[in-house]
Amino acid sequence: MNNHQSNKEKDEIIKGHEYDGIQEYDNPLPGWWLTTFYGTIIFAALYYVYYTFMGGPTLSQELEAEMKAVPAVQSASADSNMTEDTLAAKFGDQNTIAQGKTVYVAKCLPCHAENGGGLIGPNLTDNHWINGQGTRVGIFKVISTGVTDKGMPAWEQMLKPEELTAVAAFVYSLKGTNVSGGKPPQGQEYK
Amino acid sequence: MSNQNLLNTYDDDIVRKFLMACLIWAGVAFLVGLIAALQLAYWPLNLNLEWITFGRLRPLHTNAAIFAFAGNAIFAGIYHSSQRLLKTRMFNDTLSAIHFWGWQLIIVAAAITLPLGYTHGKEYAELEWPIDLSITLIWVVFAVNFFGTIAKRKEKHLYVALWFYIATIVTVAVLHIVNSIEIPVSFMKSYPVFAGIQDALVQWWYGHNAVAFFLTTPFLGLMYYYIPKIANRPVYSYRLSIVHFWALVFLYIWAGPHHLLYTALPEWAQTLGMIFSVMLWAPSWGGMINGLLTLRGAWHLLRTEPTIKFLVTAVTFYAMSTFEGPLLSIKSVNALGHYTDWIIGHVHGGALGWNGFLAFGMAYYLVPKLWKTELFSKKLANTHFWIGTTGILLYYISMWAAGITQGLMWRNIDASGRLLYPDFVETVTKIVPLYWVRALGGLFFLTGYLIMMYNITKTIQQGNAAKATETIPTPAHQMGSHEHETGHRKLEGMATVFTVLALIAILVGSVIEIYPTLSLHKYVKQENITSPYTALELAGRDIYIKEGCYVCHSQMIRPMASEVLRYGQPSTLEESMYDRPFQWGSKRTGPDLARVGSKYPNLWHYRHMIDPRTVTPNSIMPNYPWLVQHDTDFLILRKKLSVMKNLGVPYSDAEVSNADIDAQKQAQTIADDLQAQGAPAGLAKKEIVALIAYLQALGQKGVKK
Ligand code: HEC
Ligand code: HEC
Repeated sequence: MNNHQSNKEKDEIIKGHEYDGIQEYDNPLPGWWLTTFYGTIIFAALYYVYYTFMGGPTLSQELEAEMKAVPAVQSASADSNMTEDTLAAKFGDQNTIAQGKTVYVAKCLPCHAENGGGLIGPNLTDNHWINGQGTRVGIFKVISTGVTDKGMPAWEQMLKPEELTAVAAFVYSLKGTNVSGGKPPQGQEYK
Repeated sequence: MSNQNLLNTYDDDIVRKFLMACLIWAGVAFLVGLIAALQLAYWPLNLNLEWITFGRLRPLHTNAAIFAFAGNAIFAGIYHSSQRLLKTRMFNDTLSAIHFWGWQLIIVAAAITLPLGYTHGKEYAELEWPIDLSITLIWVVFAVNFFGTIAKRKEKHLYVALWFYIATIVTVAVLHIVNSIEIPVSFMKSYPVFAGIQDALVQWWYGHNAVAFFLTTPFLGLMYYYIPKIANRPVYSYRLSIVHFWALVFLYIWAGPHHLLYTALPEWAQTLGMIFSVMLWAPSWGGMINGLLTLRGAWHLLRTEPTIKFLVTAVTFYAMSTFEGPLLSIKSVNALGHYTDWIIGHVHGGALGWNGFLAFGMAYYLVPKLWKTELFSKKLANTHFWIGTTGILLYYISMWAAGITQGLMWRNIDASGRLLYPDFVETVTKIVPLYWVRALGGLFFLTGYLIMMYNITKTIQQGNAAKATETIPTPAHQMGSHEHETGHRKLEGMATVFTVLALIAILVGSVIEIYPTLSLHKYVKQENITSPYTALELAGRDIYIKEGCYVCHSQMIRPMASEVLRYGQPSTLEESMYDRPFQWGSKRTGPDLARVGSKYPNLWHYRHMIDPRTVTPNSIMPNYPWLVQHDTDFLILRKKLSVMKNLGVPYSDAEVSNADIDAQKQAQTIADDLQAQGAPAGLAKKEIVALIAYLQALGQKGVKK
């Protein structure tokens, strides 16, 4: 054994301890090990007392604090300056529509079908609307806030404002294209 | 051989049997594991076959690994070492045989029923009630046989390995019985008496201690016998053995709730789970120290003896896992790691490294001994060692990376207050390459195993079991000796007292944690109370359980900003108060489903269940086409509701007696809606509709939005 250990680890065989040829040394508990053990016990006790008896924050308090630090999503649809005219300029831009198509393919296609003909969600290429009313503002709003209890997600939680505008522009551009094989019309007809 | 001769010899035949069983089942466990790993990397490998779909295959893998591979390894080692440590033959050869064949039968039953979808839906406790009963019975046979052997021992004192065996046998019995208290509904279906948070607590008290008392204590016992024996060195410190043994058995039992951090479990219990896990670190390392320092002066064997290589590496993995375990129990670390593949990596460091390598080391030592020959090839054993180690490292590192990557992606919120990765599937596709690396690791491990099997078969062919018979030598300390002894030494001579003390040590934590939650009403807030599932939803829930959806989906939204943004308000304990079994889950391979109800139209679910990729491109969830073919069992619903009612779920008598009719009505409504939206007609009777009813009910039973 190395010198510095020799005072502690004597490696003395304990007399009488022999099991199927296995013997045992009478070495003490290693100091660092014991310190670690005591350390964790003290930590555990303090931790428990603090969180259980001394008013340490509960999980819901921690959540509340955390939620405060998260900025509330600015609801693009709450913009009161938004009118058919303000949107018209953006919706007419071919680049915006092209960008909207990319968003559409990534997020909307599973429910409204690739060509907009509808599948799980309604046909977006006819002139019938359940909520969208066929106006630019109407379409923008329904996409932003969704119809969550009917399975249309509120996209403003997930898409950036530019993406919202773009995808709304794309949907608007589909209006009245009446693709073949689309879902039968749902909702009211708007001319 | 004459009877007298038989009594003078050890029963090694039973050891050979258990060892063979261990090695054969190991192959099944590893192979099924590899297939499951490949299914996650490449979903088409679910093959559209219900019996081998991931949700059913994963429980088969875990059960095979734990109960078939590790179980038989433990029994082989215990039967071999106990006889030698007690200097007597096993108590009763017939009991040994019943234990052996009974256990193998249970495994076969598991291998048949799990793919068929008979399951409790509780991890590592999946097997249905007839099998549960058989396990109890066989475990009692084992216990009688083991304690009978102790009773007729010739060696007065119990060596530390035996302490660990005693703790194992007693605790596993308690865990298994309490966690399996259930009411049968039919031949292969039952509901647990515990619900919601109770069931969660009992299950993870069981689940964690299955790791502790099935995969740790018995293996520590084996380590204490085989390392000093093979290295021919004295155990490093007897005092350390005492302290770490008692600390371990006392502390371990409390740690279960660390699987339930940030859940709806009352916070005092969560905190207990965390702090006891932290305190477990040193006692666990006590075992590692005694294992490794015993080898001082024998390190050269590491170069020449493959057996020692395996054992030392096993102990090293044990040290890693038992450091990582307490770390993952710390709340803030757990917040990141929980539900991710980090946990899967953690488990496999233990299972492949510690249990696997210890069992392999033991096998390489035992086979030549039990067949009286030399190992066929040390070189091949070394090859096995290196391939196996590489496999474990590939597995561990890939899962660690996958877990942390995904955990960070889930919680990433951008400056505008939106999730950076709102599509769950994005966080999945990101780690699919790592799933391939993991599968490669599994392939390495399996290859190593095959090399071992070849080596061991060759060894057995050149050996001769009949010549291996050992006569029992005289013990060091006769039973009758009356030396003056004090303290622990005295206890080591008193097997019954020792066993009772060990039982008390594990009961303290169990009772303190579980007892308060038994009166659930104390925690339930009236204003949050929920209504129970309708009959059809319950039928759907049982399909969810049968298909093993819980292995990929959690139903427990944690109180964290990112989860609230992704899934909604944190889950409450009232939301699962009627859940038998609870389905909080432990792994999110797919998103949390606690609030999925009304998120999507019925048609979305219909299409998603038949082929998830039609609505979520790149999904790795399996297809469930058979749900549109199988009929829902409506008739059994009265029985199911009546069992639930007896367990305290507030169903009216009319609801129970009309269960099937009500269910059919609700099914018709959903089927009509599906049809109106474009799905085929005639779905009302099909399982898919019941499942959709359940999914649409999740999170809709009374919470305020
Ligand atoms: C999970 C399926 C799903 C996804 C994904 C989805 N929708 Fe919808 N959507 C629906 C459903 C269902 C409705 C009908 C809601 C109702 O019945 O009021 C709907 C309605 C709409 C409407 C109004 C139609 C009307 O008749 O009033 C618009 C516009 C729309 N979605 C656009 C989108 C856009 C753009 C996206 C992608 C950013 C998208 N949807 C993604 C399911 C979906
Ligand atoms: C192999 C793991 C796996 C299994 C098993 C599995 N799923 Fe999924 N599940 C996923 C993944 C990954 C996703 C996310 C991608 C997607 O939408 O398909 C998912 C998504 C879902 C969703 C959509 C959740 C949401 O909020 O968008 C539902 C619902 C669902 N699964 C139900 C089930 C049901 C029911 C079962 C059992 C019959 C099941 N899953 C089995 C992996 C799995």
